[in-house]
Amino acid sequence: MAVGRLVALGCAALGALAVGLFLGGSTLGPGDVAWALFHPHAGGDVVTIVWTLRMPRVAIAAIVGASLATAGFLLQGMLRNPLVDPFLTGVSAGAAAAISIAIVGGVAAAFVPALGFAAGLGTALLVAALARRGSGIDVERLILAGVSLSALFSSFVALALTRLSSGGAEEIIAWLAGSLAGRGWTEVAFTLPYLIAGFVVALLAVPSLNVLRLGPSVARGVGLDLARTQWALLVAAALLTASAVSLSGIVGFVGLIVPHLARRIVGTDARLALPASALLGMALVGIADALSRSLLAPSEIPLGVLLAFVGVPTFLYLYLRPRGTTRLWGT
Amino acid sequence: MGHLTLRGVRIAVANRTLLEPFDLDVLPGELVAIVGPNGVGKTTLLRAMAGFDAPASGEIALDGTSLQTLVPHRRAQLVAALSADPEAPNGMTVREVALSGRFAQRRWWDWTRGPDDDEAVDAALARVDLSDKADRAFDTLSSGERQRAWIALALAQGARALLLDEPTSHLDAHYAIDVLGLLRGIAREGTTVVSVLHDLNEAAAFADGIAILGDGRLLAYAAPAIALDPSTLERAYGIGFARVYVDGEPRVFARSTNGRAVARPFEKVRDSGRI
Repeated sequence: MAVGRLVALGCAALGALAVGLFLGGSTLGPGDVAWALFHPHAGGDVVTIVWTLRMPRVAIAAIVGASLATAGFLLQGMLRNPLVDPFLTGVSAGAAAAISIAIVGGVAAAFVPALGFAAGLGTALLVAALARRGSGIDVERLILAGVSLSALFSSFVALALTRLSSGGAEEIIAWLAGSLAGRGWTEVAFTLPYLIAGFVVALLAVPSLNVLRLGPSVARGVGLDLARTQWALLVAAALLTASAVSLSGIVGFVGLIVPHLARRIVGTDARLALPASALLGMALVGIADALSRSLLAPSEIPLGVLLAFVGVPTFLYLYLRPRGTTRLWGT
Repeated sequence: MGHLTLRGVRIAVANRTLLEPFDLDVLPGELVAIVGPNGVGKTTLLRAMAGFDAPASGEIALDGTSLQTLVPHRRAQLVAALSADPEAPNGMTVREVALSGRFAQRRWWDWTRGPDDDEAVDAALARVDLSDKADRAFDTLSSGERQRAWIALALAQGARALLLDEPTSHLDAHYAIDVLGLLRGIAREGTTVVSVLHDLNEAAAFADGIAILGDGRLLAYAAPAIALDPSTLERAYGIGFARVYVDGEPRVFARSTNGRAVARPFEKVRDSGRI
């Protein structure tokens, strides 16, 4: 039964990505898009729009959604805390600070994603180093370090914003609001090795995530190397989050909410819930990106803003409606 | 198999010695209870015996294999340990909880489940008498059933020794006797069982040997009739004890300050917040 639901989620993800190919700033008929899909080398505007503008965006939406949702799932499972968001590791704040400083300093735009990636990953490792206790990672220390460093780096962004001419400030703000505009295969190619590393570790960690459902002490009892698992999960989550942030800027909410919805749909078994999170993340970001391009075309609504508009009320409805369940953890 | 040996083991927390060096042997087929006042180091000792933390000095071994040298996964194949009050997992069935014990027997990255896993889980659930509740959600179980489900997890692990920290602390008399009877049966079937217990008379009724910790050392390690000596207990707990015999078996009671034996076992008076 749960497997059937996972298949349904897979179809939903594919559907959302297909919608992303057919919707966009320019009005192309569905027939034109379908024709272009089957004639990639035919040339002409339609083929260019479909293959060099929409296709990479749809791919990036899928990657960003899957990465953030998977990173959230890994961290929530590792910390056994349903309120954990992948940005808690400081990835987004570190990346935002580095990018703001780079824009103030006039660094070429081509280097911005790589810089964001490096700074995000570096911040996550710093947070992890601060959270160390013995050979493992202490949950409360991690949250404290993540929140504190995020606050510190956010103030760098604020400082940069006050120091900038309006043009640069707009660049930073667009980045903070999350957007896939103007991203292409170059950015994907840059993050691909890190994404693959992150997803491979995530898949290998599935049995460990399953025993971690019973809490760290039972997990150790059945033979889990807790310290090693915590480091592996944290590094994998940081790689996935930093890759997503360098591709899309700060797209909040996906990493927090999607793992909850996925566990609701397929249960807490990580063998199902981890792929379900990735697929649901793809579907959600895919649809949101299609809408962000088409609702106010030719201008775009920032992706992060749109996700918050649609996602937060859905989440509140699911969890806070009077007769709804208030249990965040579990099914 | 399942001979647990402690040689010259010293237990310390943050460089403060809790227990001076001592030796201890637990033989296969035995149920041994560890008792002593709060803060004496019972849980720290149990964690060292489980291989979670190395003792400050000395060696702890199972059938000659030093537990401190093993990686966690290999150690879990030899020793299963249940901490006090594991949190109840949400959204897991009793079978899934028991199946988690099989993590010890599979490679850590392996997603699959083999026929040996199903056999071990079925046998463990049958042993703790939860076969008919295998597909129930764990959090719908009573406290006594939960404790039995945790024991099923430990049994499914396939270890030679089973260590438990206060498995009866939240249970009423009926379920406490039920769980201790189960543990004694498991010991008789060949798995070495060591349990921290709070209630001295539970230890007297079920354990083959009682290790009394107190005054910074192992004060006694013997069969209940010998170990539960009022003067030893007085040294351990700093309060007087009376020993009586019920159906020929020793039972002990703490004396209240005016010298009368109180109606309930000492520990439950002192920790009344727990009951």
